[in-house]
Amino acid sequence: MTPTVPELLMGNFLAMMDPPPVESAGDYMQAKIGVTGMLSLLCAQEAERGIAARTWENTAIRALLAGSAGRYGSRFAEAAAGVDTDLSLAAMDRANAELRTALIDLHIAVEDALDGPLDTQIRALYVKMADARRLDLPPMPAS
Amino acid sequence: MSLQTQLEAYLTRTLGAPAVVTMLSRIPGGASRETYRFDVEVGGEFKRLILRRDPVGSLIDTDRRLEFLAFRSFFGSGLPVPEAVALEEEGAELERPFFIMGRIDGGKAQSPFSMPPYGEHAETIGQQFYSHLGAIAAADPATLPIAQVAPIPALDGCWKKELDYWEGVIDEDEQHPQPIVRACIRRLRANPPPPAQKLSVVHGDYRTGNFMHDGAGKVIALLDWEMAHIGDPLEDLGWAMEPLWCYGETDRVSGMLPKARAIAIWEAASGLKADPAAFAWWELFASVKGQAIWTSAAKEYRAGGFKDPVLGLSGWYTARRQDVILADRLAALEALS
Repeated sequence: MTPTVPELLMGNFLAMMDPPPVESAGDYMQAKIGVTGMLSLLCAQEAERGIAARTWENTAIRALLAGSAGRYGSRFAEAAAGVDTDLSLAAMDRANAELRTALIDLHIAVEDALDGPLDTQIRALYVKMADARRLDLPPMPAS
Repeated sequence: MSLQTQLEAYLTRTLGAPAVVTMLSRIPGGASRETYRFDVEVGGEFKRLILRRDPVGSLIDTDRRLEFLAFRSFFGSGLPVPEAVALEEEGAELERPFFIMGRIDGGKAQSPFSMPPYGEHAETIGQQFYSHLGAIAAADPATLPIAQVAPIPALDGCWKKELDYWEGVIDEDEQHPQPIVRACIRRLRANPPPPAQKLSVVHGDYRTGNFMHDGAGKVIALLDWEMAHIGDPLEDLGWAMEPLWCYGETDRVSGMLPKARAIAIWEAASGLKADPAAFAWWELFASVKGQAIWTSAAKEYRAGGFKDPVLGLSGWYTARRQDVILADRLAALEALS
């Protein structure tokens, strides 16, 4: 997923560094500061949960690919090989990109084969994947 | 040269008399165009105006002439739409393309992240919101200024034109594989909706946050027509009800009304029907379109040197929330057989 936490935090700094033109100093700047604060808050969540979410997702995709290789081809077993040894967000994301690409290919093959049970299983995995990466924004009161 | 000086030079030239700009102030929100409010005095006459200028980087890539003509299509129609005043596609003194429109004061546009967005006025605002959308759907686009530039699809081609476009945006801008939205796109292609009942002007971004209300229950301005086009009227209805626009709400669409009531209001105002199967297609499409927009936002955030936090928020937080919505919608579909 993009952008990354380092990019977002650097962006927050850069967004505040340049003095705004006079016509952007009022409501616009206030809103901009509010959004940078929101991003910082969400970055704190990602720092706390991001590794666990990626570890879980990569493991779950590997298991699905490996379990499907018998019917859909050894290339999915090959894509499932390996473990995450570098637990930085960047390294986990690189591995995740390759796994997600293989998952997309597997899902297409499953749909072409009208394999209802595995399609349902993949769609259930998507729900868990999206939920694991969820970020929680506190509701703001209406003005 | 400051923006105020540029604006004065432009207005002085085009109005043929010295123009004095005051109260120039950028309005927050709206990542697709820079939006400013300002007053201008020419020959003792004051006008309250809005400037919409193309940004350096944008959430979405849109045609400002089309947006300008969309405003013209509905100004004076009985809907609360501001007057489009001037369009400069080459940028003139302001260096980037822009247009100027009339300003409607005394209102506010609610953030979709607010909860609850409309408080005690939710029902009243919802009635107008869906009734106005029905009126837009009922209009004959062939008779309106927007038809000068908007492509006119076939009734059975509306869905494909839109899905092709937004899938293309994802193909071009995606920076990390997205299995969820890809699966949704395949489902949409494999199960197309019936032909549109009629061609309509599709606002394209009709939702919470893109209209102003007066704080007392009256909708006073329908804004942000930059994604307007001609197509299936159900497209707007699906986008308006996208769960992204009603943060934390589970029993009211758009933070306003129960879904069945909103549809009934729209049907009464438009004279059209929201066939459940067809509408389900456009609801899923709305979530796909949303993810395409957030995918572009992430790319633009990088391309712009990370300086626009709205693009960062859209390309990250909003994209993830959209994935939750897409995955839930996909899981609720019937199993393959």
